[in-house]
Amino acid sequence: MEGTAQTPPIRQELGERVRHVAGREITFDGEGFFWDPHQWSEDVAMALAEEEGLKDLGEAHWAILRFLRDYYFQNGRSPLNRQIKEGTGISLMEMEALFPCGIKYGARRLAGLPNPRNCI
Amino acid sequence: MKKVSLIVNGVQRQFVVEPDYILLDLLRKELRLTGTKQSCDRKGQCGACTVIVNGKSVRSCLTKVVNLDGAEVITIEGLGTPKNPHLIQEAFALSGAIQCGFCTPGMIMAAKALLDKNRDPSVDDIKKALRRNLCRCTGYKKIIEAVRLAARFLRGELTPDQVRPDPKQGLIGVSHPRPSAMIKACGVAEFAADIHVSGAGELATVHSPYAHALIKSIDTSAAERIPGVIGIMTAKDIKGTNRLKYMVPDRPILCDAKVRFIGDPVAAVLAETREQAVSAAQAVKVEYELLPVMMTPEEALAVGALQIDPDRPNLCFTQPQIRGDAEAALEKSAAVLETDFSTQTNHQAPLEPEACVAYLEEENGDLPTLVVIGRSINIHYHMGMLQDAVGYENMRYEEAYSGGQFGIKIDVTSEGLAAAAALHFRRPVRYIPSLVESMWLTSKRHAFRMKVRLGADARGKLTAYCIDFTVNNGAYYSNGNVIVNRALLMLSGSYYIPAVRAMSRLVYTNTIWGAAARGAGPPQVNYALESAMDMLAEKMGIDPLEFRLMNILKPGQPKSTGRVAEQWPLPELMEAIRPHYNRARNDASEFNRKGGTVKRGVGLGTGSFGIGGPGDTATVAVELDLDGGLTVFGAAADPGEGNDSMLTQIAAHLMNLPMDKIRLVTRTTGRTTAAGPAAGSRITYMLGGALVDAIHKLKSAMAEVSAVTAEQLQASGKPTRYMGTKKNEDAGPLDPQTGQGPSFESQVHAVQLAEVEVNTATGEVRVVKMTTAVDAGRVINPKNLEGQLEGGMDMGVGFALREIYIDGQTKDWVSFKFPTIGHSFEMETIIRETPRTKGPLGATGVGEMTMVPTAPAMMNAIANACGARVRHLPATPNKVLAALREAKG
Repeated sequence: MEGTAQTPPIRQELGERVRHVAGREITFDGEGFFWDPHQWSEDVAMALAEEEGLKDLGEAHWAILRFLRDYYFQNGRSPLNRQIKEGTGISLMEMEALFPCGIKYGARRLAGLPNPRNCI
Repeated sequence: MKKVSLIVNGVQRQFVVEPDYILLDLLRKELRLTGTKQSCDRKGQCGACTVIVNGKSVRSCLTKVVNLDGAEVITIEGLGTPKNPHLIQEAFALSGAIQCGFCTPGMIMAAKALLDKNRDPSVDDIKKALRRNLCRCTGYKKIIEAVRLAARFLRGELTPDQVRPDPKQGLIGVSHPRPSAMIKACGVAEFAADIHVSGAGELATVHSPYAHALIKSIDTSAAERIPGVIGIMTAKDIKGTNRLKYMVPDRPILCDAKVRFIGDPVAAVLAETREQAVSAAQAVKVEYELLPVMMTPEEALAVGALQIDPDRPNLCFTQPQIRGDAEAALEKSAAVLETDFSTQTNHQAPLEPEACVAYLEEENGDLPTLVVIGRSINIHYHMGMLQDAVGYENMRYEEAYSGGQFGIKIDVTSEGLAAAAALHFRRPVRYIPSLVESMWLTSKRHAFRMKVRLGADARGKLTAYCIDFTVNNGAYYSNGNVIVNRALLMLSGSYYIPAVRAMSRLVYTNTIWGAAARGAGPPQVNYALESAMDMLAEKMGIDPLEFRLMNILKPGQPKSTGRVAEQWPLPELMEAIRPHYNRARNDASEFNRKGGTVKRGVGLGTGSFGIGGPGDTATVAVELDLDGGLTVFGAAADPGEGNDSMLTQIAAHLMNLPMDKIRLVTRTTGRTTAAGPAAGSRITYMLGGALVDAIHKLKSAMAEVSAVTAEQLQASGKPTRYMGTKKNEDAGPLDPQTGQGPSFESQVHAVQLAEVEVNTATGEVRVVKMTTAVDAGRVINPKNLEGQLEGGMDMGVGFALREIYIDGQTKDWVSFKFPTIGHSFEMETIIRETPRTKGPLGATGVGEMTMVPTAPAMMNAIANACGARVRHLPATPNKVLAALREAKG
């Protein structure tokens, strides 16, 4: 079979995406999670929140986002949901109400935490 | 029913049992003696359930309890405990005979039955006594050595303390027994099927008998009426995406619209017992509308072929690799070899079934935590996959002890079903699939078809390499593009090839899906390259060893990706193997001089295997404990390779602590760093590297405030916990047009020498000996390293000669042709240690490379013996005979 260098559309699903958010160039993975958590800033979080229809980030939101980031850099992973609850004193049901996209796709993404890695 | 009285581990017991009740169930279910394992669907094929009855080793899966009245039964638990082990258990731990540990209890019981009667067994005696016991990890060499060592212990010639390494010998480069060895030897390491879950229902799954069909309807009414059935789950009951997305979301937990291969899961039954669940699964009626079946890439790529995945074309990934002008270089070459090769779909064949459990852990009025205990080698990533697939975020994943891996655990299988069922039925779930279910649930090694052209100039220097390869991806994508990319990242193997032109294609078909399998791409393409090297050498009249030596890449030269290698200590290995090669050639000449139908031959294969891939990152945390010990936190799965040894020995060495002061936390998403998969031979290099970095930070902090204890650190305002990282800064994808780009940070190198005898009348091949020279950098634990080399060569020989997975036909260990101790062969290893500049303490990885050179070395040896060049694996007797006929014209 003689080949061609055509690029099937699956590459678009696999690749990283670079976007400019709040004046910063940020690399996201295919699910919209930060590739590098150091590219995050509070302004970026607010801009991403607005994209999700979350216009005002209140104290409870920030408490969760700050906890997530502190936990990540201390432990090398995102906390389990129960650990967020223990760390912030906010119940899981309250958290789900605060972040309409959920804790993983809402709070964790806004906090700039990356996905765990798969294959090399 | 019949009342039976028997003694189990010295305790008199009475049971009233059905006529067909087997001893395995009595031990595991009634007495909770879970050291006795089960792998082969109770067919007596694996020996993992071996116990001793009245002094003889028996397979408890074939032994009916009604026949045991008055019998004395001894199980692994009846021998010893981790604190007071039996001498045979000591011997297995000290010999490095325990890797995953799933086969170990059965092996030890078979060994005890032998040694009780014969305190000085020969190797043949041991092979005969253990002939029914399978092991996938070790290649059996260290198991045989363990039995011989146990015999010496029992004869009183030696004691374990005389063999046990003295801590004064140091911690690096010393074969201290694995921290987990003794609990595996004593049968108390809990694999997923051994975990007791109160009130758990048992799951069974309905699988498609068709390779490609629409699901028209599912009738569960008859199944629901079967006693004990708790409920039946179909795709509509799964609240999340119902897609297990490794790279792309194409594989359902339960099929909704159609099935794509024989074995695709369609429905799941939860019942009070596994037997009831299986009966009910058989009663589920699924109406299918059959679709055209495409089992090969050619069929799937034919004009008008039906698209298998609704969202992606059958040709789902391509990647070229172009370096220089290969076509022009071939035209100018003095000699060109042009041929084709193929490799088969193969099962990775860990001995343990795909077992897991799932349950909801209550949370004081809040949402409960879904806990999954399974066989993952990437717990954090797999938890994320499960969260999306079942639509539930509050989750924790724990890794049980798991019985072998070899790539199969790169993706989620039974956990998806168990997690979805636990949520749907709100009941704890045990899913202990049968062997055939496990085969259907899991990925396989991809089949490759490869057309190659390899050229050299008149001096024998390689000029160019062209390869077109097509990969049968099977029904689902998993990590298909990763396999293709890894093949390209290591395409030029051990050599400097100035010009390369490659085209790769990954194609959906209706075979079982492919994913990682020990080596994951390179074993297939390296088989083609290393076979072509021998064929071209023969064409040019150059000795295969000399031809390889003159073409080995030198530091400063580029690989096929264009990245320049800094270290490449392979020529030294070639020189190390040279005397063995010369001896083997002389032996073969001597042997063949006698005439007859059996011919002996010698073959070489090399492997240069990348470790620490583009952009790879790992983190590990360490914490200085109040008692002066150190706890290491990192998701370093250990399905048998010895990662517990590696982390413990490095940490103890750097902290100057005894090994028992090092605590590992590696198995739960609740406490570990997300450190990436235990795949790609990366754990020693990447997590070991991150561990070294973390300890360096801890020690720097201690030195800064002159602290020697955790209390002193705390008093000085310093934390006791430090994060370490290891990162390959060379990141990013290969260029989509040229395949040039980032590469691995390190390589492990090997050359293997195969000596075989070929029966030219029957086509049967006997392995006389495999010798391997390896440079994996600084060695942390020599026995663990040898164990990987020996197990890998055994697996490589199985891949080369026998093993194959055929959809709808491969159903157990016999039809798979699992290598037995009877197939085992002499092995010799030669270790060189060139410290890797960026590796932890100079080390790199080894687990996969070990089978990369084996298949070509075997095929080159067969060709050397009798002229038969087998180009399509496996080299079954029929293929050898066909190649012989082809050679004779």
